[in-house]
Amino acid sequence: MKALPRTLLLVLLAVLIVAPCLSDNPFYQRIAALTALAAISASAWNLIGGYGGQVSFGHSVYFGTGAYAALLAFDKLGLPPIAGAPLGMLASLVLSMLIGLPSFRLRGHYFSMATIAIAALAEGLVTNWNFAGGAIGLMGPASPRTVADLLFRSALPYYVLFVFVLAVLLALTYLMQRGRMGFYLRALGSGERAAESLGVPIRRYKLYALLLSGAFTSLAGSLYAVMIGFIDPDSGFGILVSVNMVVMSALGGAGTLFGPMLGALILVPLAETTNVVLGGGGTGAAYVAYGIIIMLLARFSPGGLAQWWAPLTGKGPRRAA
Amino acid sequence: MILLQLCVDGLLLGAVYALFSSGLTLIWGMMNVVNFAHGDFVMVAMYVAFFAFTLLKIGPILFVPLTAAALFGLGVLVYYALVRHVMRGPMLAQIISTFGLALFLRYTALWAFSANFVSLPDSLVGGVYDLHGLRLSASHLLAGATALVLTLGLHLLLTRTDLGSRMLAVSEDRVAAALVGIRPDPMQALAWGIGAASTGVAGALIALFFYISPEVGNAFTLLAFVTVCLGGFGSVPGALLAGLAIGVIESLSAYWLGPATKDVAVFGLFVVLLWVRPQGLLGRA
Amino acid sequence: MTITRRSVLSIPALAVLPAAALPTAAAAAETIRIGYIEPLTGNAAAAGQSIKQGIALALDIINTAHPDLAPLPLAAAAGLPKLGGAKVDVVWADNQGSPAVGQSDAVRLITQDHVVALCGAYQSSVTLTASAAAERYGIPFVTGESVAANLTGRGYKYFFRTTPFGPDFAKLYLDFLADVAKTGKATGKIAIVHENTDYGTSVADSIVQTAAARGIKIAQRISYSANGTDVSPQVLELKNSSPDVVIFISYTSDAILYMKTFHTLGYRPPIVIGDDSGFSDPSFVKAVGDIAQGVLNRSAFVPGKPDGLSYKVNALFKQRTGRDLDDTTARSMQGFLVLCDAIDRAGSTKPDAIRAALAATDLPADKLIIGYKGVKFDASGQNTLAYSLIIQLQGDDYVPVWPTGQATARLTLPFKGWA
Repeated sequence: MKALPRTLLLVLLAVLIVAPCLSDNPFYQRIAALTALAAISASAWNLIGGYGGQVSFGHSVYFGTGAYAALLAFDKLGLPPIAGAPLGMLASLVLSMLIGLPSFRLRGHYFSMATIAIAALAEGLVTNWNFAGGAIGLMGPASPRTVADLLFRSALPYYVLFVFVLAVLLALTYLMQRGRMGFYLRALGSGERAAESLGVPIRRYKLYALLLSGAFTSLAGSLYAVMIGFIDPDSGFGILVSVNMVVMSALGGAGTLFGPMLGALILVPLAETTNVVLGGGGTGAAYVAYGIIIMLLARFSPGGLAQWWAPLTGKGPRRAA
Repeated sequence: MILLQLCVDGLLLGAVYALFSSGLTLIWGMMNVVNFAHGDFVMVAMYVAFFAFTLLKIGPILFVPLTAAALFGLGVLVYYALVRHVMRGPMLAQIISTFGLALFLRYTALWAFSANFVSLPDSLVGGVYDLHGLRLSASHLLAGATALVLTLGLHLLLTRTDLGSRMLAVSEDRVAAALVGIRPDPMQALAWGIGAASTGVAGALIALFFYISPEVGNAFTLLAFVTVCLGGFGSVPGALLAGLAIGVIESLSAYWLGPATKDVAVFGLFVVLLWVRPQGLLGRA
Repeated sequence: MTITRRSVLSIPALAVLPAAALPTAAAAAETIRIGYIEPLTGNAAAAGQSIKQGIALALDIINTAHPDLAPLPLAAAAGLPKLGGAKVDVVWADNQGSPAVGQSDAVRLITQDHVVALCGAYQSSVTLTASAAAERYGIPFVTGESVAANLTGRGYKYFFRTTPFGPDFAKLYLDFLADVAKTGKATGKIAIVHENTDYGTSVADSIVQTAAARGIKIAQRISYSANGTDVSPQVLELKNSSPDVVIFISYTSDAILYMKTFHTLGYRPPIVIGDDSGFSDPSFVKAVGDIAQGVLNRSAFVPGKPDGLSYKVNALFKQRTGRDLDDTTARSMQGFLVLCDAIDRAGSTKPDAIRAALAATDLPADKLIIGYKGVKFDASGQNTLAYSLIIQLQGDDYVPVWPTGQATARLTLPFKGWA
């Protein structure tokens, strides 16, 4: 009964994934790559923000750390930028601990505000940190020295790489969702006090979720820096970086496996298209349209778009707190 | 002398933050809805004041109430058209809906008023007082005094009036309030209207000494969040205290540590304070 | 050049065509498209919008006959003569102030709209990423307005910059101050106040380095964040140390706040220099002109004498927009005109031919709309003849006051501020 729509969805997904590889249009390929990249960071955010119900507005800290790690590896050590990715993930694990342990005592909006402030703090510190380029930022290699620099004219190699990372992340999320951790996080997401009274070790599991989330957000940041070849405090640590992750997850369906990806799949092409069609006019019409669409979606589908496909696949959506 | 001037400037600036945040704290505290479009409400208010002055040729005595009235309307409209529907949804839906609203307001302003910076004439209110070398601008003083009055007024409204009790009752428990005969929707619409109206007053007064552009809300939004949070959600006197504290910290740290590090000082202290005292300065635990 | 059906029909291309140009554009395959990336929304939108107006005028000058502007290349006849009178068309893209968006714009303009060259992108950080994409595709990129030092010097083959940059400005200010010192005024104690992103930091660095090379020590350097709400601590710091000269490197919002705060705190430094950007924004003069009297600024654009090119171009601009041409817009227009001239000289729309023509550019001062001593690129793509003047806000207008040979008004010091 439920199998048919589910198969259809999977086929649709497969088509979507393969389509950019068959297209010969470089711009569409680039949109596809940017979409996949946004899907990685949104899905990573979803681990703690969606499943764990801890709405973080400070994930740009991890994103920026990853992005800077990549370009610092190039700038200071002469390594290919991608070699900085593991370092960034390591640094983000440490940061997750430092930020998570004290912040998890805060609830609801207080937690969100603390994360916003931490991100603003990080942006301020990096802006004043001359070793890392200060306010000017860091450049990647101007031209590829070896293939390891991952500097391609076509966006297709990036797309393939990003989809691979996304697949790994979603597989991990799937395993987590089915295991004990998923159970605990769901309990947490539906009510922190209740979960605590049932004996769920909430602090520990929140921290696990944040570690995984921070590491993958950092990886997304490294991949961004590798592809764009430039990072400055605003594009790494700016509040919009975090807001985008939140908006995509919320729109697609926070706390669902594919929700954040769905959000990215809608928002990135939407932003690009509105910019193409309306941006050149220079009246801000692109943003007006974007704002209206977001409001309409929030108004008519507050649980995220994933709630529309839930009846099809027979799985209920999980709401964020 | 410099120290005194710095502190006075900091306090006046802090009063502006408090003024700016009073509407936000009301909406946030009463309804547990974070209004990401708050800075853009202020932007709208500043433009209303600007056009009231340039087109209708009316001065601050008239355009401040006019702006408050206009923003009251905007607040009520936003409540009925948008917030009412997303309020009972997940927190995330509320956040993205006001985020969408922020984009909509900001870029409609860009389309309608262009990206150019405009400003009200500096001499509109008073000028500058010189007290033995201590310089005080009349427009800042006016904004500071209004912040005190407005804060006190909102506080009294919430704690001393029947209307305030009704609004608080709805914010505590919609269903229970409805059971005792308080219709929740008009109460909450009123809260949005009052919150927006005080934002309107803030915007009109800030326009007296600040530039106006579609992006101007950006400069204040984050600080308004920090102010509200530091003061404790929903605590109007808390927001005043927090605003004053932030103003002085900014002023002193900018002078001693350099202006580029003042954000670091403010946000750093805020984070540490939250970790130590999670409910804010005057918030209830 | 081949133009696919899709790109001719694409909406952004049609949206920017003036109605009158439609029939030619649809019929003629030889219309030459140039991509223009600017901040049309976001913090710097005022500048981007102003540049857009300027380029509309530049297009009109190129595409229709303007015999009265004769010495200006491409003005006299309609279109590009060596390409059979081909018309030039600009495809606009909004960079939203984001390096990533600017890069996407570049890729889109190159691959979708098949532009033959790119211009832009105002913010140096965006110019950096957008030109990196252009370099990968082997498409020439000309910036007429971005000034960060790190843009040239990347070893790029397809990147050219017509505008003066940090070291040029540093030299201008120090030469000027040395000249003022000869009149007996103190100029030894210099304070630099700069916004802390790439623009402010790199120009401030240039001034400090150039000064050090001349044995001058900068007394004070204050960096601040441009989107702040209050600048009184900085002004108090200045007031306390009372330097002879204050050089501001600021965007518009902060430039306005500094002038308002000077007024509030009653502080008038003897010499105030504002480095272009914010101080040249037309809305700066409108907003705080009455309390910023006597502020000095740099500009490469001065309308000058009625028979000069700058004057005539300014008159045309004023006719369209009701205001005078500002420095940033004029510099961007000049970059665009240099590019179009190179395309014409190349006689081809092949990127490599255009690149070669750009590299061979050698325009004398009388063929420019702006006050450079000429346009000639070095190996890094930097214009070696770029040049600026010192101007001063007197009344409602900036007037050239230094060097004396090109001045139309007397330099009045000290800084007056308000009445």
